[in-house]
Amino acid sequence: MKKKKSRLYGKKEKATFGKTFVKYFKDFGTAVAKGDKAVKLSLILMGFGFFARKQLMKGIIISVVEILYILLLVFWAVPNLADFGTLGTVQLEMVFDPATGKNIVNDYDNSFLILISSITALFTLFVFILWYIHNIKEVYKLQLREEQGKPINNFIEELQTYIGSNFHRTLLTLPTLGVILMNVLPLFVLIAVAFTNYDKDHMPPNSLLSWVGFENFRTLFSSGGMSITFGYAFGKIVSWTFVWAVVATFTCFIGGIALAVLINSQGVIYPKMWRTFFMITIAVPQFVTLLLMRNFFRDDGIVNTLATNAGLLDFFKNIGLVKPNMSYIPFLSGGSVGWAKFMIILINIWVGVPYQMLIATGVLMNAPQDQIESARIDGASKWQIFWKIIVPYILVVQGPALITDFVRNINNFNVIYLLTQDLYITSDMKMANSSAKEVDLLVTWLFRLTNEDYNYKMASVIGIIVFIICIAFTLVSYSRLMKGNKEEDYQL
Amino acid sequence: MKKRVIALLMAMTMCTAALAGCDSGKNNGGSEGGASGTTADPLQSLIDATSGTVKLTVWASDVTEAQDHTQELIDAFKAQYSSVNFDITLGAESESTAKDTVLTDITAAADVYSFADDQITELVNAGALQAVSIGYTYDVKAANAAGAVDAATVNGQLYAYPMTADNTYYLFYDKSVFSEDDVKSLDTMVTKAKAAGKKIGFEFGNAWYLYGWFAGAGLDAYLTDSGANTCNWNTGAGPDVAKAIMDYCAEGTVANITDDGSAVTGVKEGTYAAVVNGIWNSSALQEEWGANFGAAKLPEFTAGGQTYQMNSYFSCKLVGVNPHSENVGWAMVLAEYLTNEDAQKSRFEKVGWGPSNSNAAASPEVQASADIAAISEQTKFAQPQRIGGNFWDPAATLGKNLSEGTVSDIQGMLDEAVAGITAP
Repeated sequence: MKKKKSRLYGKKEKATFGKTFVKYFKDFGTAVAKGDKAVKLSLILMGFGFFARKQLMKGIIISVVEILYILLLVFWAVPNLADFGTLGTVQLEMVFDPATGKNIVNDYDNSFLILISSITALFTLFVFILWYIHNIKEVYKLQLREEQGKPINNFIEELQTYIGSNFHRTLLTLPTLGVILMNVLPLFVLIAVAFTNYDKDHMPPNSLLSWVGFENFRTLFSSGGMSITFGYAFGKIVSWTFVWAVVATFTCFIGGIALAVLINSQGVIYPKMWRTFFMITIAVPQFVTLLLMRNFFRDDGIVNTLATNAGLLDFFKNIGLVKPNMSYIPFLSGGSVGWAKFMIILINIWVGVPYQMLIATGVLMNAPQDQIESARIDGASKWQIFWKIIVPYILVVQGPALITDFVRNINNFNVIYLLTQDLYITSDMKMANSSAKEVDLLVTWLFRLTNEDYNYKMASVIGIIVFIICIAFTLVSYSRLMKGNKEEDYQL
Repeated sequence: MKKRVIALLMAMTMCTAALAGCDSGKNNGGSEGGASGTTADPLQSLIDATSGTVKLTVWASDVTEAQDHTQELIDAFKAQYSSVNFDITLGAESESTAKDTVLTDITAAADVYSFADDQITELVNAGALQAVSIGYTYDVKAANAAGAVDAATVNGQLYAYPMTADNTYYLFYDKSVFSEDDVKSLDTMVTKAKAAGKKIGFEFGNAWYLYGWFAGAGLDAYLTDSGANTCNWNTGAGPDVAKAIMDYCAEGTVANITDDGSAVTGVKEGTYAAVVNGIWNSSALQEEWGANFGAAKLPEFTAGGQTYQMNSYFSCKLVGVNPHSENVGWAMVLAEYLTNEDAQKSRFEKVGWGPSNSNAAASPEVQASADIAAISEQTKFAQPQRIGGNFWDPAATLGKNLSEGTVSDIQGMLDEAVAGITAP
């Protein structure tokens, strides 16, 4: 028991990445150098080491998998990888035969399939090498066990370890496979697309793709590459993305805490009822709420009708918030950038605050009562308690969640797209010339560029840039927020 | 030992299975083609050459009536060729978004799909349309109106089967406010509408509609072979037209409407006595205006002292065949069936879409429709919609700014818009 604890908390010596890396190959070297004949033969047929230690079944399975993989490598991976450099050379050609009603197709190269297959092949090769190295070490361990006279598992016992000491492998196999197939491989393919000429003029299978190196990145950062005002639009959109992410995150955060404190405070009758009201807004799917809001705040929507009838329109005209020639308040239509940005943030508060309220309620319930109690005895006012104890406590507990929210807001597609698509028309011709709007985030712009122009290569490039921005920000914030391990101050 | 043998055998079976599964990114093309008799009737030889089940997928408009109508046609098609075993699935895909869905993965797209003709160039470039090189049951070019055939043609080759010819915009008006003569001129309309305390709605923030003003003054905006747009709205009468739009809007009677939905809402609320819109809103407007419902070609407008007839974009709904289909021949026969004279007649009756087939369009039922009459008048002043993606956003911004009257430097704004529209 004591030993386990020391593993969790006591180990001060940090295993750096570099050290682990070196050790990984050193162990492999030792195994190869010190291994006996069986271990060395395992370098060729991976099952040998097991055959020699009477683990016949395991040896066979491993050898069969090895042979299968090598066959796969020769007959599938190698032909694909051979085309990887050019992404195929044979153009699709079709001849129609009216009598049979069939198209006669030549043996063409599908660049995109080649790309996907090659990346999958490289990935499997990488996995195979890891497994190969691991196997040699495993076989060497068996040799050591035999030399030390320790018992060696038979096949049944070996299987039993998968519901015993190796149970984590049994559990994690499926999720790991899922993550690799659904996330990791597509990610690599998409990254690769950023280095090809995949766009509306080069659509597989009809035409071939080819590598263009860093050309797309150069296009992105040289002004006048992708559209005549690309640099202008990119700058504007990046800055608004950041303003939006900061404002959206903090308004929801502060609003949620305020609401939670308000509902929790003494003197509020039926707190549960109020909380339930806000919960109902969560129960309605977000996109329904957003589409409703969008319709309420249209130029000819109900809010505008009400505002006109109530004289609000004239009031706004008088104080200069609405241009005199407008017969409506341009809530979301882009007649005025300020209005649209303000409304989007306001609507986002409506959509986001209930979630934050829920979290804040939970956090507040666990607030350090002893500290609050002693502060009260010392004569601190409610206001002081709130600012000096509760707020720092919430910030520490919610810090990581705040960062996640921030990154999510950078990519907050739903709110922006559903509220402004087809409704907001920019007045800035320079933005329009890049298919951009002032209220666009990088992701919504990216979506429009791909979806309406099929510009997959540039979409990938922008995707990579957004990824780098998010990564950089997350790393910096985490290291800042987590420095000094403030969490411990509030434990116990 | 026995175990090992079995394991080895298993391994070998797995190997063959694994090998059968990989095709190294190459698509082994070809089919059982080749040995075809040169029968005079291609349809008969197609029937003779067919064995087994013919599987086809059809994507038709997501409008309920259109779905029902297509299903009826498919059932009738199966009955007509009862000697062949068909397995036809019908899916819903709006014509306006067909291109996006098809181009996501052409090989997985439907065998037969309908789309709006402005998508045809990109679909052909991406190899998503089978050239109509043969008519199995009728001659597509001869049967349809010339404009519709043009809309289905790219570089002199017919690539799709015209299904409708009604996708344009024209004027809907309230007969209690305007007479048939009034709606010929926008200036007269403004006077009358003002007297009645009503407005005239036009969607300026939409490049599709805005086009009509500039095209009316003889200015160009179209896609060239180089893949970029050409546009001369900043020359000649362009600045005059822009000024005219600003003046009409500043006067207040001609107003910007947000979208199709607000056109109907505006009429229902009694704000608008006339709107420029398309056949898709016709029934809603007929319901509102009743006996006073009127439809006509777009009016003439005045710009820089000159009178111009407002033009419009004209487009058709087309049916295309996917060249990656397993049964291209049958897909073509089905596409012909979905667009032949009878199908277009029944489509007009059941779905309300105006036919492109000359005989169907000449039938008395079709001729009696006010919408079709207005459309056929307007098509004399309409151009097919052949424009690249860079057109939409700059032109929408231009229209919006003009309608809001926020432009001080018209020439500068036009120059900038044209630069965006014509950007490569």
